[in-house]
Amino acid sequence: MKFLLEFAQPGGLLKKYSVKARDFVKAGEGSIQIQRLLKFIGFDAGLIRRISICAYEAEMNVVMHGGDGELRLLVDPKKIILEVADNGRGIADIELALQEGYTTALPEHREMGFGAGMGLPNIKKNADSLEIHSENGQGAHLTIGFEVQTS
Amino acid sequence: MPESDLAAKPIRYVQINESLCNGCVLCMKACPTKAIRIRDGKARIEGVCIDCCECIRVCPRAAIQAITSGSLDLTEKDNVIVSPSTVLYSQFGEDILPNDVLLGLKRMGFGYIHDQSYTSEIFNLAVELYIKENRDKPDAPLPFISPVCPVVVSLIAYKFQSLLSHIPPLVTPREIVAREGKLRLAARHGLDAEAFKVVHITPCPSKMICMNESILQKHSYLDAAIGINSIYEELRNNIQDVEEDIVLHHSGGIGLSWGMSGGEISGVDLNCLAVSGLRETIRYLEKIEMGLLGDIDYIEFRACTEGCLGGPFTVMDKYQGKRHIQKLVRMFGVERRVKYGYVKKLYDKGWFFTNKRPSLQRELTQPSPSDIARGIERQNRIEDILRLLPRKECGACGCPDCATFAEDVADGRVSIQDCVFRQDQKKK
Repeated sequence: MKFLLEFAQPGGLLKKYSVKARDFVKAGEGSIQIQRLLKFIGFDAGLIRRISICAYEAEMNVVMHGGDGELRLLVDPKKIILEVADNGRGIADIELALQEGYTTALPEHREMGFGAGMGLPNIKKNADSLEIHSENGQGAHLTIGFEVQTS
Repeated sequence: MPESDLAAKPIRYVQINESLCNGCVLCMKACPTKAIRIRDGKARIEGVCIDCCECIRVCPRAAIQAITSGSLDLTEKDNVIVSPSTVLYSQFGEDILPNDVLLGLKRMGFGYIHDQSYTSEIFNLAVELYIKENRDKPDAPLPFISPVCPVVVSLIAYKFQSLLSHIPPLVTPREIVAREGKLRLAARHGLDAEAFKVVHITPCPSKMICMNESILQKHSYLDAAIGINSIYEELRNNIQDVEEDIVLHHSGGIGLSWGMSGGEISGVDLNCLAVSGLRETIRYLEKIEMGLLGDIDYIEFRACTEGCLGGPFTVMDKYQGKRHIQKLVRMFGVERRVKYGYVKKLYDKGWFFTNKRPSLQRELTQPSPSDIARGIERQNRIEDILRLLPRKECGACGCPDCATFAEDVADGRVSIQDCVFRQDQKKK
C-alpha cells in the first residue's frame, strides 16, 4: 500500500486508522473515530456528516472487497483529505463501480444489508473531489477531498 | 463544537451535594458526555450536562439530585390539571388499573385529571401522517427521530446538530395534553388559559428541563413536573378502596405501552425501530450521522434502558413495571381506539405542529478559520500529552479517562503531574 499522506504540514494533523478485511464486528470503527475527532476539533456539522458518510462507505469497501487497509485523515484549517488504500483485489472497472446500483458484493454481504452498489457513488456525491486509482489485483487507492467553508 | 460553547448552558438541573460526596469516581466514569471531574475530593459538573441522570443512578451515597417541581404552590389544587406519564400506571401492582390511579389523583385534590395515554395514541397517527407525507420527498431526513425523550433531543441539539432536521416538528403528547387542557378549561370557564396550571407527574427530571429550555417549541404549556417517587405514598393511600364509577381512562393497550421501550412505535404502522439506553442511543445517532439506517422511517429513542420505566424517579423496578404494562396491554387490547378521520382533521388544522424549527436558543454559527486552526493545534497538543500517559484509565487524577485528562492538561486546567503514574515514575 502506498500513501500520499505521510506527514502533516505545520498547523495540520494526520491520523491513521487500520482496517481489517472481513472484520464486520469492528467495521465502521475508524469512521466513528474520524467523526468524533472532527466534532471535537469543531468543524461544521454538515461537513462532518459528509466526511463520515464517505469514510464509512470507503471503510466498508475495504472490509468487503479489499484486503487489509488503512484510512488516513489529513486535517488542515482549509481542507480535509481522506486517503484510503488496501491490498485487496482492486476495482476491475472504475467507471462501472461509480454507477449507482452496480455491485460486486457477495451474497453474504447482501445478507448483512451491504452491497447495494451505492458505496463509490455515495462518496462521489458527498465529497468535493475524488480520485480513484486501482489496478486489478493490486488494491484500490482513494483520495477524497473536502473544502472547509468558514464564515 | 468547542467545549467552551457547550458549557454555555445556563441552568443545572442535576446538582451535587458536596457534604455527601466522598469523591469516588463512579459518577465521573458513568457520565456519557464526560462532564464530571473530581476536584479537591468532590465531584463537580464542569462540562455540558444533558440531564440524563446516569450519575444519579450510580451514586452509592445519594449525593446527586435532580431538581423538579418548579415554583408552583401545590397547596391549592383546584385550578391544577394533573397529567401523569403513562409510566405511573405500572407502579402499583397488578390489581390496580389506570382508572384507579387517575381516581386516586382526583382524591388527592387535583381539580382536573387528564390521561395522557389516549393522546399518545392520537399522536401515533399524527406521526404516521407526517412521515407518509414527507418520506418520499427528495432529501427527506430519514430516519425520522422521535421528539418524545427530552434527553435525546438535548443530546442531538448539543452533540449531533446535523440530526436536528430528523426530528419531525410535532408537539409531544405531554405538551398536547397540557395545551388542550388549559385552552378547553379556559373556554369553558371564560377565563385566561394561564388561570390553570398543568402538573406533569414524571419518571425523570428531564421533563423539567424541556419546560424551561425548549428546543422543540417556543414555550411549554407545562407549569411543573413532579417525580413519581415524591407523590407515591400519598397516591397509594388514595387509591385504596376507590369506589367511584367515573371513567377517566380511555386508551387501549397501545397508549398504555408508551412507558416501555418499543411502546411508542407499537402504534405506528411504518418501518420503525426502538432503541433504549443512552450508550446505545449515542451509537445509533453516530450511525445515522454516517448516513446509515436510511431504510428506517422512524426511530423511538429513549435515554433510559427499557424506556421511561427505567427513569430515575420510578418506584417500581423497571422489569416488574414492564410486566405490569404487558399485562395491561393484554387486558386492554392492541386495536386502535382513535378514528383516522378525526386525527386527519386535527392534523390538517395544524393541531400537532410546533411553532419552531428544532434548534437551540442560540444559533450555532459556522466556525471561523482561527477556531479551526486552534482546534487542530489543541488536538495535536492533546495527542502529544496522551503519549506521555499510561492509558490505565484509572480516574485517580479526577478526570474520567486519560484522553480527558490530556484535554484538561492542554487547556491548562490541571498539571500533568496530577497523574499518579507519572508521580510514581518520579519517585523511582
